[in-house]
Amino acid sequence: MKNRIFIVGLIIILGFLAIAAIAPQIVPCDPEAQDLYHVLEGPSRQHLLGTDDVGRDLLSRVIMGTRPTLFIGVTATFLSSVIGVLMGLIAGYKGGFIDMFIMRLTDTFMCMPVLIVVLALVAVLGPGIKSVIMAITFINWTSFARIVRGEVLFARELPYVEAARAMGASGLRIIFFHLLPNVTAPVIVTASIAISGNIMLESAVSFLGLGAQPPTSTWGNELRIGYSYLEIAPLFSLVPGALITLSVLAFNFIGDGLRDTFDPRLSNTLLNKNVKKSEVK
Amino acid sequence: MKSYLLKRLLYSLLTLWLVSLFIFAIARILPGDPVQGVLMASHMGIADNNLIEGLRAKFGIDQPLPIQYLVWVKNFIIGDFGVSIASGEKVFEMFMKRLPVTLELFMGSAIWSMLIGFSCGIISAVRRNSFLDHLLTVGAVLGLSIPVFWEGIVLIYLLSVMTHILPPSGYVPFTESITGNLLAMAMPTFIMGTQGAGLIARYVRSSLLSVLGQDFIRTAYAKGLSERQVLIRHALKPAMIPVTTVAGLTFGYVTAGSFIVEYMFAIPGLGRMGVNAIFANDFPVIQATLFIVAINILAVNFLVDVLYGYLDPRVKVRS
Repeated sequence: MKNRIFIVGLIIILGFLAIAAIAPQIVPCDPEAQDLYHVLEGPSRQHLLGTDDVGRDLLSRVIMGTRPTLFIGVTATFLSSVIGVLMGLIAGYKGGFIDMFIMRLTDTFMCMPVLIVVLALVAVLGPGIKSVIMAITFINWTSFARIVRGEVLFARELPYVEAARAMGASGLRIIFFHLLPNVTAPVIVTASIAISGNIMLESAVSFLGLGAQPPTSTWGNELRIGYSYLEIAPLFSLVPGALITLSVLAFNFIGDGLRDTFDPRLSNTLLNKNVKKSEVK
Repeated sequence: MKSYLLKRLLYSLLTLWLVSLFIFAIARILPGDPVQGVLMASHMGIADNNLIEGLRAKFGIDQPLPIQYLVWVKNFIIGDFGVSIASGEKVFEMFMKRLPVTLELFMGSAIWSMLIGFSCGIISAVRRNSFLDHLLTVGAVLGLSIPVFWEGIVLIYLLSVMTHILPPSGYVPFTESITGNLLAMAMPTFIMGTQGAGLIARYVRSSLLSVLGQDFIRTAYAKGLSERQVLIRHALKPAMIPVTTVAGLTFGYVTAGSFIVEYMFAIPGLGRMGVNAIFANDFPVIQATLFIVAINILAVNFLVDVLYGYLDPRVKVRS
């Protein structure tokens, strides 16, 4: 069950990545070509999903939209994991005042309404893909920092770290060559779940009109414009929304599967079928 | 325990201070001159220097930043949240006017979350590894993954556009019409409650499963109790303890959902106020919204900590 769900998630994501990679080659029509005589039409042989408010082929636009949507989700997660892991390593290894400071910083970020902060930051930086990535990174690194810190606090007391220290390894060497490899598993698990959250966040920002700007088509943008034509052309908003949901779902599946494989201690999930006796205590 | 709580409280206050600095910074670096905005709206953009200086003084933005910060904090503590730049209303009054609406949304979504989450979680645990369990499992992950706005669009399409069962948007005050109010709130609260329901279902299931594996449950069966009695009398209560931590998480989801849901359904609550304030660069309102949400999340987290220690005597927290 668990593995099957993981595989399903993986297949969906690989499918999306493949579509994103060859998007310009497989679009049936020019995604920018307007046709004002055929706006908001239903599905037809020429336009499989119909047309948008200025007569562009919806299927082509949705296919092209795969690129910025995935790009934002993955890049923002990658950047926040880099920052978060560094912060977590420093906090966990150094301890003391630095640890205290970084942890209070994560507390601060974690009690803010994420969407409003991201919206405000995007408003400061000016709407666009780059600003959305920066804004999400800015608020998203904290979960990585907390997890890495916890792992490091545990690991730094272990004999192998002590041994490295006894051999005269410097702090930096211990952090990057001994501690870092041992925190990768939880970081990967966190990242795959963070990607789904970030895709959702990006779509919400786009839905409110502050995401990638036209003519770039992201799923969130399509959804926002399509929403105003829900009664005439339901597919216009339903399809991009379904794709957002599907990708979020797939990344969650992957995250759950990875968590069980890498770190059974963390698995407190519904998908976990065999509750071990030891977890009861 | 007491010293632990005291420490948590101190941390919360420290965090609150950092939050206030951060919010102040965000609100001040927002682009555009708010005074210019007021002038465009009320004086067609024509103004002499006196008027501009007057407005700057009125909003207190002629002072140096540290002073502005201190004045803001002082005023916030005595309940003066400043004046909205866009509408000229007192922010505190705007806030009080919208609070009941948002509270109703929160309560409604909490009811949905608990109703669906608990029943699905319990059924899943009791009938584990059955087809129904697998179905509910996937359902719970779907509930957690579905973006609020898309769920909104789908439901509006199904229930309003196609079948006209529920109104697509709008808000009817409770005092005006009770049925109208409930009909208008049914969809938004359900949508806001979905993520919480998925989360609760997951936690209830795994927590109940671990309780059901314990010796005292076997003893209860051995006494000859029926499955229902074992569940109600013995299993449910200890299984609920870990679920309390989820309350904090759910609160975060609900808050995030409220911004989008209120915006989509044209519900005049705090979330809509916050989103509109960002569009209008109305910094007194942005500051107040962010700060109030942050205070609430901090308070909920603190309460969860307290409650957890209270419910579970095994938690002898190391300080």
